[in-house]
Amino acid sequence: MDPSEKLISAIREKDIRPTPEWRFRLKEILFTGSFLAAAALGALAFSIILFAIQQTDFNVLGHLSHSRLELFLGLLPLLWIACLILALTAANYGIRHSKKGYKFTLARRAGYSAALSLLLGTAFFITGGAQWLEHAFAVRVSLYDSIQDKKIRLWSMPEEGQLAGEILQIDPDRFDLRDFNGKSWTVQYDSAWVAPVVLLEKGEKIKLVGVMTGRSQFQAGEIRPWEGPGGRRMRGDR
Amino acid sequence: MVVSKEKCKGLDDREIIRKSLEELDYFSCLYQRYEAQLLRYIRRITRVPEAEAEDILQDAFISIWKNLHGFDPGLKLSSWIYRIVHNQAVSHWRKQTAYGKKPDLEWDEQRYAGIPDPPPPAETAVDEETLFSLLDRLPLNYKEVLVLKFLEHMSYAEISDVLKIPEGTVAARINRAKKALSGMAAGLSVFAES
Repeated sequence: MDPSEKLISAIREKDIRPTPEWRFRLKEILFTGSFLAAAALGALAFSIILFAIQQTDFNVLGHLSHSRLELFLGLLPLLWIACLILALTAANYGIRHSKKGYKFTLARRAGYSAALSLLLGTAFFITGGAQWLEHAFAVRVSLYDSIQDKKIRLWSMPEEGQLAGEILQIDPDRFDLRDFNGKSWTVQYDSAWVAPVVLLEKGEKIKLVGVMTGRSQFQAGEIRPWEGPGGRRMRGDR
Repeated sequence: MVVSKEKCKGLDDREIIRKSLEELDYFSCLYQRYEAQLLRYIRRITRVPEAEAEDILQDAFISIWKNLHGFDPGLKLSSWIYRIVHNQAVSHWRKQTAYGKKPDLEWDEQRYAGIPDPPPPAETAVDEETLFSLLDRLPLNYKEVLVLKFLEHMSYAEISDVLKIPEGTVAARINRAKKALSGMAAGLSVFAES
């Protein structure tokens, strides 16, 4: 029997039918969708990493008694870094298995995934989405150790010279401050350096580097905004 | 009932696909059109006898039939068909080597510097049989790019579509494969002269 005849007979006898077109389309949609979803997740993770970096306030870390690296590592959002790595891996997998994905090298696939996540993540961070998302996680997920919680712990060590809270009342050389644990302090600031962005007025949230001089007295050496560099602008306070 | 060769000749690849989906018999046109070159390709890759190559080709065409709706019109149909046939051939070859029928030799970059086996003929030019015995000693990823480039005369873009690897990888792999092959051929010459 002619081989082409044999082929047609085999297909007929076994009643083999072409796989429906929708299955191929669905597969393509799933891979493209998984790439986009992974890139979006990567963007969220990256925006929170940016938020954590913004909150770290590197200028201050150098002045603190702990090592800068130790403090930085303490504030790193490891969960979100792991999330970003996972998302980029998934995005890479999505591109690789899309119709034309094989045409790109691993470096290009990784580059495209990272570029999309970084771009969207930065936009999300600038619009304040990262802070909102981080807060939402902190409120809804009991086991989640938020960046704010970590930061509050870092700045609730008056014995180590780190204090933060909200100004309650202000005088020319001192002000009353309630820290994030609810304790009230009297802070001397006559010889302190005050960051230009700080408004010394009631309700302002600040962080202080200085010396604890009594059970509820603190001598400030530096006064900085609680939100870190650019924090106010992100929120649109000014 | 297969469609006559004369009738098939008047149809291009895409028309054959379209008509095959309407009437199965037209699928035989595709088989007839590519049969000779694909059989040759399967034998070059797997070194199986003709009858076994025909079985591989039949299986590959059943797979082509099943995936007919998945053909990407952005590709050359021949590249897509080669891709499926290649996968079928490699899968068959792997099964063979896994069952110990044709044990795959572990590739060693230094290997071609050693004494080749079987001994080469005295001529300086490498004949086809020697060329294939040298190709057989290469790892599959080297052998397949060399066969596609120099025996099937495909472009880098076509090889990229067949093997589903980037064009840059194709170029790099061909380069490395050529070096390995010429190293082995040089080993042959040294052996022949001594």
